[in-house]
Amino acid sequence: MADPFDPARYVPMAASALGLPLAEEDMREVIGAFAVLARVANVVMSFPLPEEVIAAAVFSPEDGKAQ
Amino acid sequence: MTRGVRSIAEAVRAGDCSALDVLRETLDAIAARNGEINAFTAITRERAEGAAAAVDFTRAAGDDPGPLAGVPFAVKNLYDVAGLPTIAGSRIDRAPATRDAALVSKLTAAGAVLVGALNMDEYAFGFSTENTHFGATRNPHDLTRIAGGSSGGSAAAVAASMAPLTLGSDTNGSVRVPATLCGVFGLKPTYGRLSRAGLRLFSASLDHAGAFCRSAEDLALAYDALQGPDPDDPACATRRVEPVLPTLGRGLDALRIAVADGYFTSQGEPEVFAAVERAAAALGATRRIELPAAGVARCAAMIITSIEGAELHLPDLLARASEFDPKTRPRFLAGALAPGAWYAHAQRFRRWYCQALKDVFREIDVILAPSTPYPAFPLGQATMEIGGQIVSAAGHLGVFTQPISFAGLPVVAAPVAQPGLPLGVQIIAAPWREDLVLRVAAAGEALGVFQSPSPVSMEVVSHA
Repeated sequence: MADPFDPARYVPMAASALGLPLAEEDMREVIGAFAVLARVANVVMSFPLPEEVIAAAVFSPEDGKAQ
Repeated sequence: MTRGVRSIAEAVRAGDCSALDVLRETLDAIAARNGEINAFTAITRERAEGAAAAVDFTRAAGDDPGPLAGVPFAVKNLYDVAGLPTIAGSRIDRAPATRDAALVSKLTAAGAVLVGALNMDEYAFGFSTENTHFGATRNPHDLTRIAGGSSGGSAAAVAASMAPLTLGSDTNGSVRVPATLCGVFGLKPTYGRLSRAGLRLFSASLDHAGAFCRSAEDLALAYDALQGPDPDDPACATRRVEPVLPTLGRGLDALRIAVADGYFTSQGEPEVFAAVERAAAALGATRRIELPAAGVARCAAMIITSIEGAELHLPDLLARASEFDPKTRPRFLAGALAPGAWYAHAQRFRRWYCQALKDVFREIDVILAPSTPYPAFPLGQATMEIGGQIVSAAGHLGVFTQPISFAGLPVVAAPVAQPGLPLGVQIIAAPWREDLVLRVAAAGEALGVFQSPSPVSMEVVSHA
């Protein structure tokens, strides 16, 4: 899968959509950190998983009762 | 004070010394050494004096003071300690905890004496304990170098003999990395084995509580007191307590031990792989085994950690990002912006990976792998060159630990006996087989290949 992100464009836009204020002096480092995440995400997303593989959930509807 | 968990507990239980005597020695050691190490962020002197006096009173009355009677311990400052704010390495205001974390209560009930709280990377998001708010924790073996992280205070306190037992937490390597760089034994049990109730978590899908000591036997003693189900932690398994002490001395017997191949044989300095080979030779491990998709597992761990960590602190990131440590802030902010599909795919991959590892453990019992890719680097060093690539010096420390904790496997990080800066190996087994990793650690100690070295600088201090 091609890397779908240009972190330098995506980071300010996504932060604005979330209402997350990014200080000017942080911007370069946040873009750098996001670029690292995007790179490792690409490795993960490129690993094909059949639909049948479902995540193991810790959630239990009985949880509240046990306490 | 260089005595371990077992020797202190035996002496106090036998009446050879009092818990108050042990406490005094411990507080003296902390007063003498913490200034240069910076492991402790709080000392709980008053509480400790009360607890030690209670242990002595119980014994004097002819009652059992517990298996850890009089053993001083300290905890990473993300564990709740009644009366202290659980700062988790942050300066953002926090009200004092109203009660102890479950594991603090368990150790206290076993007779152990809490002496303080320990430094860490802010919110556990780091591998170096270079905390901007509270200062860096220094490596007792070389004060110009990092202690490792994020449980750096926990490892350094044990290495410098300021406490025989400390607790930490491990999401991606935060027990194993500092244990290795400080030359002590670290235990990260199976995911779900120990209760995290009363811990400020980082990434609940991956967080484990763990412990540090100077020997495998001390770790086993502490671990047996820490086990047990807890409905207050939804990830804590409902398994009964499975004590490891009775089988600790069984040796290597017919255990099938293999060295991790492929991914685990590059991306580190040669001395690291040489240490693994020395351990393998001593333990008679001739097999090699490849873990499927270990590199993908590391990436998926990074995705889950970043997104869960950012979500947990999102209100503060929105309202007061400037109060975060500049070392963690960019990574927390980046995690807040990540797309949901990354997270869901990483969680689905995790289950695929755990299923694939089940096949590995049909053929072997124990895996040996390097713990860190290099020994402790100088404080402030930002990057490292490995195999011609420039990597983040701190970030790359988790390259070998992340694929293991991602599967929740039990691990002892054991220090390999050698001159120079400490290095170690991960001793890994199938889920719920803490008995095996501790047994192999103890066997390696008996063979002389694993040993927790005493820092040279500390010997000078203790004879002063």
